[in-house]
Amino acid sequence: MKMRLILASVFIPLGIIIAAVPENTTKPFRLTAGELLNEIHEGTQFISTDQIADMLVQKDPSLQLIDVRTQAEFEKYSLPGSVNIPLSDLLSEEWNDFLDQGVKMNVFYSNGNLKANEAWMITRQLGFKNNYVLQGGLNYWAETILNPQAPKSVLADDEIAKYDFRKGASAALGGGNAVVSNSTEGKTAKPPIVKKKKKKKVAGGC
Amino acid sequence: MSEVKKTKYLNPYVGGVLLGLVLLAANFVSGRGLGASGAIKSAVVTTVSLVMPSHVENSAFYTEYKESHPGNLMKSWLVFEMIGVLIGGFLSGAFAKRLKFKVEHSPKITSKRRIIFAVLGGVLFGFGSQLGRGCTSGSALSGMAVLSVGGFLTMAFIFGTAFALAYFFRKNWI
Amino acid sequence: MGPLIVNEIISPNTNLLIAMLIGIGFGFVLESSGFSSSRKLAGMFYGYDTTVLKVFFTAAITAMIGLLFFSLFGWIDLSYVYVNPTYLTSAMVGGAVMGAGFIIGGFCPGTAFCALSIGKLDALAFIGGLVLGIIFFTEGYPMWEDLYKANFMGTPTMNELLDIPRGIFALGLILAAFAMFWVGEWAEKKFPREEY
Repeated sequence: MKMRLILASVFIPLGIIIAAVPENTTKPFRLTAGELLNEIHEGTQFISTDQIADMLVQKDPSLQLIDVRTQAEFEKYSLPGSVNIPLSDLLSEEWNDFLDQGVKMNVFYSNGNLKANEAWMITRQLGFKNNYVLQGGLNYWAETILNPQAPKSVLADDEIAKYDFRKGASAALGGGNAVVSNSTEGKTAKPPIVKKKKKKKVAGGC
Repeated sequence: MSEVKKTKYLNPYVGGVLLGLVLLAANFVSGRGLGASGAIKSAVVTTVSLVMPSHVENSAFYTEYKESHPGNLMKSWLVFEMIGVLIGGFLSGAFAKRLKFKVEHSPKITSKRRIIFAVLGGVLFGFGSQLGRGCTSGSALSGMAVLSVGGFLTMAFIFGTAFALAYFFRKNWI
Repeated sequence: MGPLIVNEIISPNTNLLIAMLIGIGFGFVLESSGFSSSRKLAGMFYGYDTTVLKVFFTAAITAMIGLLFFSLFGWIDLSYVYVNPTYLTSAMVGGAVMGAGFIIGGFCPGTAFCALSIGKLDALAFIGGLVLGIIFFTEGYPMWEDLYKANFMGTPTMNELLDIPRGIFALGLILAAFAMFWVGEWAEKKFPREEY
């Protein structure tokens, strides 16, 4: 008998508290500030324009370019195969599956580094993997891929090979400097895609 | 209920709180509730696939089940949990000196009748737990803790039917 | 933070070890509360022993309130906790069949294992029955597949269905549970049974 009263005097106040406070709907950050600082310091999120150009030329299916600029800017010019997720829409539900996944390599880009890096920082703190940033953004893209400058002939061979590659990529991707050239592989290793476990599927049943 | 018997078992409210904490731990660590019949199902499916592999290929249920549960079926959360239940129950019984082989039944019926009814009840419960996607622990108790509509519904129907039929089987128990 | 397995804080194998520890706790609590006795379990339906009601609902509200507070403190992300899917028809029919099995057999699967662990032979018979019942279900699966999958509602929770905050629902459930405990203790006094 007494136990019931003790229990009631504990549970009913707890119930009143839980009924009175609003539900916790914040998305928990999964990385500590220190971990994030470390990743920023190492700059592992940056992908070079050469690498993206190569993946585009090869039509690598694992690449997903994401334009974080405004819709107007996106309509004016965008990289082939990219989708537009303006920075203000980043946290909306409809993009959640897109950004938090373990299949594709998402690469954010904007005009410079800034907006894309902001998008990366937010998604990274939410614990999303496989999101990267196009180094230098579209400005650097135009400078290096669309209008590559011929290196001085005294430079090392790999510089010239890089230039040849950029010229080729430029031709393939519609740059201003459409010179046909036998492009050499300027390939760098692409970052590994971290397979994410399907979270929701904790098996249940009895 | 005599005083002696009363002290033998844990106070039901204390037991309930402890059981609730176990369930909370399961949810916190593994993101899931408790269960029992799923472990038997794993064992059944494993045995059937060992004994009659060709049968498993042709049966719609086994194919679906295997698709949704890849890997070794016996290496599942529920199977390990049920091994734990056997150990835990044994330990508790050993501490309380309740370990004894016996058939528990009402003085009004024979052991044989009790066993027949136990098997019959088991068949019904086994069938119902598959249809209802979980038994009292997996569906009703764990479901209620996460406020699942299915959990509440199953709980209401289990206890509702048992109450409704209680009169017809009173001789077995009272 | 939680659930630990989803956030990859522990490995799948550790998870299995923990499953066993949780099972030990589960079995220990069931046995110490008297769930290894079929007559104690069945007593609930005749009013002479409402232990089942008390343990069951106390456990449900303890775990529920625990989860809600954990969520409030940000210790667990409830969207990753498994919520049983609701199939309207099969939940009702299955529940009714289980109810019949409960009153006839005197156990449910969890308590049968618990009773077996201390040597109850009727529990062994019940488990044998469970195996038969499951085989019966799997073998005749095409016959009840439609029933099994009918009226799928996704994974709704009670508070979503009623469209109230879950805290309010939780408070309501706690009050309902204590009302039931009160009725249960009244029934125990009204329908006493001495020996079992």
